[in-house]
Amino acid sequence: MRVGIVGVGFMGTTHAAAWAETPAEIVGFTAETQKEAGALSKQYETRVYTSLDEMLPDVDVVDLCSPTHLHHTMALKAAAAGKHIVCEKPLARTTRQAKELIMACQKAGVQLLVAHVVRFFPEYAMAHAAVAEGQIGKPAVIRLHRGSYRPKKPAGNWFLDEVKSGGILMDLMIHDYDYACWIAGEAESVSARRVTQRHPEAPVDYGLVILSHRSGALSHISGAWAYPPPTFRTKLEIAGELGLIEFDSDGTAPIQNLILKTNEGAPDVGLPSSPVSESPYTTQIKEFFHALAEGTTPRVTAKDGLHAVQIAEAAILSAHSGQPVTIQSMGDAS
Amino acid sequence: MIRMGILSLAHHHGEAYISNLKQMEGVELVGVTDDDPLRGQTIAAHNRAQYFHAYEDLLDAKPDGVIICTENNRHRQFVEMAASRGIHVLCEKPLATTLEDARAIVDTCNKASVLLMTAFPMRFSAPLMEIKARLDNGDFGDVYCFNATNQGELPTKYRAWFADPDLAGGGAIMDHTVHLVDIMRWLTGAEVKTVYAYSNRIIHADDVQVETGALEMLTFDNDMFATIDASWSRPQYWPTWGGLTFEMVTQRGAVLVDAFRQNLNVYSDKWERSNWAYWGSDMNHAMVNEFAAAIRENRQPRVTGVDGLRAVEATIAAYESDRTRKTVEVKTA
Repeated sequence: MRVGIVGVGFMGTTHAAAWAETPAEIVGFTAETQKEAGALSKQYETRVYTSLDEMLPDVDVVDLCSPTHLHHTMALKAAAAGKHIVCEKPLARTTRQAKELIMACQKAGVQLLVAHVVRFFPEYAMAHAAVAEGQIGKPAVIRLHRGSYRPKKPAGNWFLDEVKSGGILMDLMIHDYDYACWIAGEAESVSARRVTQRHPEAPVDYGLVILSHRSGALSHISGAWAYPPPTFRTKLEIAGELGLIEFDSDGTAPIQNLILKTNEGAPDVGLPSSPVSESPYTTQIKEFFHALAEGTTPRVTAKDGLHAVQIAEAAILSAHSGQPVTIQSMGDAS
Repeated sequence: MIRMGILSLAHHHGEAYISNLKQMEGVELVGVTDDDPLRGQTIAAHNRAQYFHAYEDLLDAKPDGVIICTENNRHRQFVEMAASRGIHVLCEKPLATTLEDARAIVDTCNKASVLLMTAFPMRFSAPLMEIKARLDNGDFGDVYCFNATNQGELPTKYRAWFADPDLAGGGAIMDHTVHLVDIMRWLTGAEVKTVYAYSNRIIHADDVQVETGALEMLTFDNDMFATIDASWSRPQYWPTWGGLTFEMVTQRGAVLVDAFRQNLNVYSDKWERSNWAYWGSDMNHAMVNEFAAAIRENRQPRVTGVDGLRAVEATIAAYESDRTRKTVEVKTA
């Protein structure tokens, strides 16, 4: 299995490390300039391509670690060339684009795998398993939080470009929309607000989203780009009819740093840091590898990826209008 | 000496107020009454307080002020009883279960020229007072939003009426919305403009007929917004009754506040659950003390009846939103 990775930012680097632990071969990286891909191509002794078109003939699988707004065009190209696709979240910038991608991949007979990596984090996977086993009965009220600082980039910060990334309500919070639906099923309505809607000049951003699920459960999702670097913290609480599951990354951090000299250089994007024996990114790529090699169904599907985009889009709309937005049922969506 | 009485022990906070009053300097507890003579006499005996068989008898003893701890929907009739005799009132929250009753309570006390205080103890929480002082000092700059929770266990273990749709006026929304609405109004001076709320009854679905899960989204007249988780979602084995937390997002970053975090973790073979033993300051004591001080100094208390009314207005809007599935404007009664 020959894999080509598009993008050499944090995600491209992380996915490369994960693919290296599978039998797949990393054929190369696509980057805008030879220079930015230099270190990665050297590490994996691979080529650097300057465009997706140039890379496509050499690969079986395209792994899209490019900015969100590029997923649609790139994935359509890959599908048209008969290549399987692994796509970083969000699957696409809009619902319309996500649906188009799914149809194109079905038509081309290629797999479309969406990297909602939170499902592969051991604490989140275990909480899901506990709910699935019935440990807390039917989920009733779910609270998910993800907080860090505003993504920074040396140049062209697409994270902060609403049109390209969808902003905090899409880029950051889509992780937890997907997780909430993994726990409680499809969302029915979305009510959302975010700081920069009314305060475009604010030095921070923060989103608050209430989801109602068709199962009757409610989810509260909060996302912060408001903390001092290098903070990254996540919290989870699932209240069910028989009990409660809670997790706080700060409360469970096995290492607390109270060292006198702190490293000033925080990464561009805040990252989780609880040490585990296998990176959740690697767990994810391994599961995708098996899906591609053996046709097994991974724990997250393209349809899940579409639903998360639907919710993010509805959240952006709701933050704009101030009214709740109803989500089209997935039954009607295909 | 300020003389105080407690009208009804239907709300279990009444018991805490008895012990607060008995320990307070410059205050004398005249006595307590209750609809349930057995309950009232037992609690009075435990606390060595005078028990009055009839409400009128306690009021005839001419206390300066009374604390009303009836069921939520009976506040109005007891406020009217006290106010008509010129007795000052500290009323348990929520002030009322309808806009009409809440407005009438405020108007009655105004006309009778008696003080009306709403029992919002969180305003007397030491951690929250610290946040208020830092806010007023400009430490945080503008406040953008709150991500708040006031979650509890099913309160029927204290009193069955807490889940009675008539007596309580609702479930988790009625029980928990007012505290955080009041905290946000107090901290920022902003008024709630719109409310969106969604409730469910999955937890304790077979035990009660009122909502047990509820999430709310509020906007304020200064463009601030907030969510409130008002759910009765703490399980039986949670280490305490529940709690109140908020994350306040400001120009200078975020502040996380857990009002009931000041606990010892106590693990004992005597209990099936670990226990959080609260060692923080007693906010009920400070609240009741403020009521006595307002009477003594003939001034408005730090929390008024209008504060109680505003919180009821937001709560009623939450129920309307939950029914209509729309974001609704708060109606000012």
